[in-house]
Amino acid sequence: MTILKLPTFAPSTLTNAASLIRILALAFIAGAAISSRLFAVINFESIIHEFDPWFNYRATRVLASQGFTEFWNWFDPTAWYPLGRVVGGTIYPGLMATSGVIYNILHALHLPVDIRNVCVLLAPGFSGLTAWATYMLTKELKDESAGLLAAIFIGIAPGYISRSVAGSYDNEAIAIFLLMITFYIWIRALKDGSVLYGTLAAVFYFYMVAAWGGYAFITNMIPLHAFVLLLMGRFSHRLYSAYSAWYAVGTLASMQVPFVGFQPVLTSEHMAALGVFGLLQLVAFVETIRNLLASKQFQLMLRWFLIAAGVAGGLIIVGLTVTKTIAPWTGRFYSLWDTGYAKKYIPIIASVSEHQPTAWPAFFMDLHMLIFLFPAGVVLCFKELREEHVFVIIYSVMASYFAGVMVRLMLTLTPVVCMTAAIALSSLLDTYLNVDEPANPDANGVKETATSGAETPVDGTISKKKKKGVAAAAAAAAVTPSIATKAKGRSSAENGIFGIDTRILVIGNAIFMLVMFVLHCTWVTSTAYSSPSVVLASRRPDGSQNIIDDFREAYYWLRQNTPQDSVVMSWWDYGYQIAGMADRPTLVDNNTWNNTHIATVGKAMSSPEEISYPILRKHDVDYILVIFGGLIGYSGDDVNKFLWMVRIAQGVWPDEIKESNYFTPRGEYKVDDQASEAMKNSLMYKMSYYRFNDLFSGAPAFDRVRNQQMPKEGPKLDYIEEAFTSENWIVRIYKVKKEDPLGRDLKTAHAFDGGKRRKPSKPISRRKALAA
Amino acid sequence: MQQRLLSWLAITLTVLASAWARSSAGDKVLVVSDAKLEAAEYSQFWDGLKNRGYELTFRKTSEEAPATSSFDVPSFSHIIVFAPSTKTYPADISPQSLVHLLSDPTQPTNILFVLQPSTPSSPLRDLGREFGISFPPPATPLIDYFNAVSPSNATSLLLTPPVTPHTPGFNGGDVLYSGVAHLRSNNPLLVDFLNAPPTSFSADPLEPADVIVEVAASGGEGFWAGGRMGLVTGFEVLRGGGRATWVGSLDLFRNAATAINGKPTANNAYALALASWTFQETSVLRIDSVEHRRISESSPRDQYRIKDDLIYRIHVSAYNPATGEWEPTSQIDDMQLEFTMLDPHIRTALSPVQGEKGWYETKFRAPDRHGVFKFIVDWRRKRYTALHSSTTVSVVPFRHNEYPRFLSSAWPYYLGALSTSAAFVLFCALWLLGGNEEEKKKTQ
Amino acid sequence: MAGPKKTVTASSQSPVSAITSAGQDLVKSYVDNTPKRVKIIDTFLLFIMLSGVAQFVYCALVTNFPFNAFLAGFGSTIGQFVLTAAFRAQVNPSTRSEFTIISPERAFADFCIGSIILHFFVYNFLG
Repeated sequence: MTILKLPTFAPSTLTNAASLIRILALAFIAGAAISSRLFAVINFESIIHEFDPWFNYRATRVLASQGFTEFWNWFDPTAWYPLGRVVGGTIYPGLMATSGVIYNILHALHLPVDIRNVCVLLAPGFSGLTAWATYMLTKELKDESAGLLAAIFIGIAPGYISRSVAGSYDNEAIAIFLLMITFYIWIRALKDGSVLYGTLAAVFYFYMVAAWGGYAFITNMIPLHAFVLLLMGRFSHRLYSAYSAWYAVGTLASMQVPFVGFQPVLTSEHMAALGVFGLLQLVAFVETIRNLLASKQFQLMLRWFLIAAGVAGGLIIVGLTVTKTIAPWTGRFYSLWDTGYAKKYIPIIASVSEHQPTAWPAFFMDLHMLIFLFPAGVVLCFKELREEHVFVIIYSVMASYFAGVMVRLMLTLTPVVCMTAAIALSSLLDTYLNVDEPANPDANGVKETATSGAETPVDGTISKKKKKGVAAAAAAAAVTPSIATKAKGRSSAENGIFGIDTRILVIGNAIFMLVMFVLHCTWVTSTAYSSPSVVLASRRPDGSQNIIDDFREAYYWLRQNTPQDSVVMSWWDYGYQIAGMADRPTLVDNNTWNNTHIATVGKAMSSPEEISYPILRKHDVDYILVIFGGLIGYSGDDVNKFLWMVRIAQGVWPDEIKESNYFTPRGEYKVDDQASEAMKNSLMYKMSYYRFNDLFSGAPAFDRVRNQQMPKEGPKLDYIEEAFTSENWIVRIYKVKKEDPLGRDLKTAHAFDGGKRRKPSKPISRRKALAA
Repeated sequence: MQQRLLSWLAITLTVLASAWARSSAGDKVLVVSDAKLEAAEYSQFWDGLKNRGYELTFRKTSEEAPATSSFDVPSFSHIIVFAPSTKTYPADISPQSLVHLLSDPTQPTNILFVLQPSTPSSPLRDLGREFGISFPPPATPLIDYFNAVSPSNATSLLLTPPVTPHTPGFNGGDVLYSGVAHLRSNNPLLVDFLNAPPTSFSADPLEPADVIVEVAASGGEGFWAGGRMGLVTGFEVLRGGGRATWVGSLDLFRNAATAINGKPTANNAYALALASWTFQETSVLRIDSVEHRRISESSPRDQYRIKDDLIYRIHVSAYNPATGEWEPTSQIDDMQLEFTMLDPHIRTALSPVQGEKGWYETKFRAPDRHGVFKFIVDWRRKRYTALHSSTTVSVVPFRHNEYPRFLSSAWPYYLGALSTSAAFVLFCALWLLGGNEEEKKKTQ
Repeated sequence: MAGPKKTVTASSQSPVSAITSAGQDLVKSYVDNTPKRVKIIDTFLLFIMLSGVAQFVYCALVTNFPFNAFLAGFGSTIGQFVLTAAFRAQVNPSTRSEFTIISPERAFADFCIGSIILHFFVYNFLG
């Protein structure tokens, strides 16, 4: 008995209509994904955001203007002056190559699109493709309706948007797409047992290796999946074909990228894949022999074979690790395991704000209701437990752990949360949208539930109408028993939902939650994740928007008022932006590959002028740039980052720089008159507060970020002079003076210029006179 | 050896210079003299300068015109600060402006400081300290009982300055000196021309013994005495080539000092020789051009490769005061080239090229590090103009196709890969040809 | 493939002789029960394995200097080996049942494509 009378159509009409609706739905989803990432472009302009994208943009410009060979061999003398940077061998070229190809295609079609626009809009474009890839993957897990839900979830989930807005031209823009498509092809390869799909997975894996350092996630996820399947006793020759094809071709392909080099066979992060590969060969060999022998003999051979293989394998692994042929886990990955490691040994890794542990509210902000549906979806995967469900379970466990360790890795959690939430929600909707009522408890006729063919157009229709929607966790929990029954198979009609009122209630709630999801995602995207971070926006008292464009003002001052080869020193955060917008050589930038060089800059910033000056002259520094937020309350300034400069310098010169010297005797971090001597004399402090008192004309100066009152006497500068300060005092640029022509130290020279007189000196006797 | 060649250089110039000399830096001289001095008493010195081609402009210390510079452009090439005794100077010859004029990197103004006999005025005292020259307490001229002209007048000394190629025109002889001594710091830019005799000391001429008693009580501290005190000191600015000379005695320039007791002194020659060094007539060098390239190529690049063979050439000329021309000189035998990135990676000697006067070259191999390197030539010798040149180039690593391609030690791998491909093709052929054996077997 | 299964009483045989007799049975069962085409595949597999072992021995004993060449050559043997082994599994009647949608012809086509892509990467990495 059905609740509603549905019109009947021919099955072919239904399938055609369903495909059409699905295609339209995917197109709309892609459109929604792309358009929700365009807030920054519409509010401000088409500009590259943040820091790292500026370097990628410069590299892409070189690629677009000079061709691939020059880009491959590009040596950048303006980065990490004077060490230079061999860009060709130290980047993941996938992103730049992709932009270059798109740029060349567009130009071949006589569409003269500027390379900047290609770079800015690449991420939204690929997000549409990611939605499609997620659809394909979730389709393998459950069915197309879950796929469509997953597609829209990942299309607008803030966790993914944060790294792929228009203007965020970073590796993650294409890496997440490659992640999903590689996983999808892997699942297909596994299901079919096809070498073709395995090789295709290897080719996409190669593309992923070329695009993002996080490829190690795939490198370990697929072997882990294969290993768990082996432990579950689910070895099959399909697994063998898919995995071997992927590993053999993929590893060889991944070594083509110069930055990766020989790591896939020499480092611990890749050893899991090799280990599982070897294990699979053994198991496949054993299985093949099993068919040829009597079982008793087979057991005997198997036992001895396993013993020999185990001993040999163990010796080899231990031997190689002990002799350091296999490198141990590198710091970046080891810090995921031992979270206190980075703070002690590699302060640079610990100082990056993206590497901090995730706070609880971040999960909700990035994923809204999906985070509640996530565990429900994982439990549903346990119910079916096909091979692809095992994969999703493993992926969700690992991704949850990593997302808890580092904020940055929320990005890898987002796809699996979208997929599992889609499964959960889709199961819920399947139950409540099913128009069949269960049979009367006393009647034992088995009612055929609607076939999946008839189900699909209904689900397709509904999911097209509300590509936005969320179900409450309570509703999901209440539905679980019926879903469990449903999952067992639809043949039994004893379980189901009676009445249309429950259906309307639950579906209405689901629609409401989906609408809230969309509103939340759009709101979060427009307010939190669409800031170009080069331009700051704030509200004036009358409500109008106030644009703070100090960064660009200062960088363009540098670009237009300094000689082309003048070297700029700043903290490494701003290196890429200075190189991109001001086009000047920098000492250190966001690549942070040379810790000693960064520590040198840290030492120069935290030492008194006399000690910094030789360092500055040795490195030919002409200008120093600091960020100071004390006037308008910008809290991301260098005074707040100062302790990291000190810590990193202390790591290399523990005798000269001690972090404790920069605190007050009571252990506080003060910049007012209680500040310690080392703090007051440090170059960073002087540069930040030089002439700050002049702004307050008589009243004591007030630092709005630290909320402290500055001492009446501001700092004096002898070795450097002020060159430029931006409108809101956010960026301050100083020029380094050349050596004194008379050979004096600059402090006395500056004092002389100010009219001070020196103390007369007396001659010192070289001999002791005879006692009188 | 070095001394010999350098002196060859200088003697050549000396011989030519003694006849008639012009400064390499310009002819206009401003003489700022104290109001109480009569220009006529020093007329031999002024005439000597005019004979050398200088244009003298006189001005009193208290006057404001003619100014030393107008709109930040120096108006004169040289300044003689002639024993001013006032406590304040006008702004354009204040100590700060004098330092500023001297150290102008493109158009330095050379300065000759001549001091009052007993008390250098306080601005000059302070200025001297900036140069590293410190003066004894006020009113303590130099006293020497062993070199005095006459025993009753112990402050007038008859000294014999050394003859150096850098003070041409002075070929020995006695010089009458009556003035103050000073101490030099260890500033490497200071050049000593004339030191005090070992038996001299600075004291009040009326009570010379007081000082000695005081000093004996304190163990020798604070005793302005001995040969380490200087009487005439030169100074070469770090960049730009400006020169300054401090002469402690006004009487060196006096007409009346040209003869003592009927015997002529060499004062005039010595004064003019000092002026000629200060005004950049002698011992002036410059770098004309610098070239660098790969040995195998003919034009320079801004990017070389690691382990490239490079050649660096530099052309140096010296100023010939007699002719007023810059002539190439190959006399420098200790010039060095540093190929530097933060620290010199290569330091090699630049040797003169046979047959090409003025050119020095060296060949070397670029180091194995990539980075931004500088060719630095930094030659400083006392009394000569410093030569400094810095050229920046990048050194890039091998391009991806510049590595050796096919290595002989890898032949088993090539063989292996090729054999695998060949076997694969063979196998495919066999498989396809092997045909429907299985189907045939099944149907049987 | 219909040889009668042999049973062996594991009563009083020492491990070594048990293994050797098991081994002989294995060989005999292999020769009898494997189709001819699969045997061709097996000879190919054997050749590849020997080539790979030879390269590995050379690398370990003599020098691993052009490491990329070693990886390319060795990787080519490993890759070809597993591709062929997968192909064998897809074609061998005893295991073919696991592959529901791969017909032997499709398997061969997959094998060729995979091998060609593998060789492309090998030659790129070799020089």
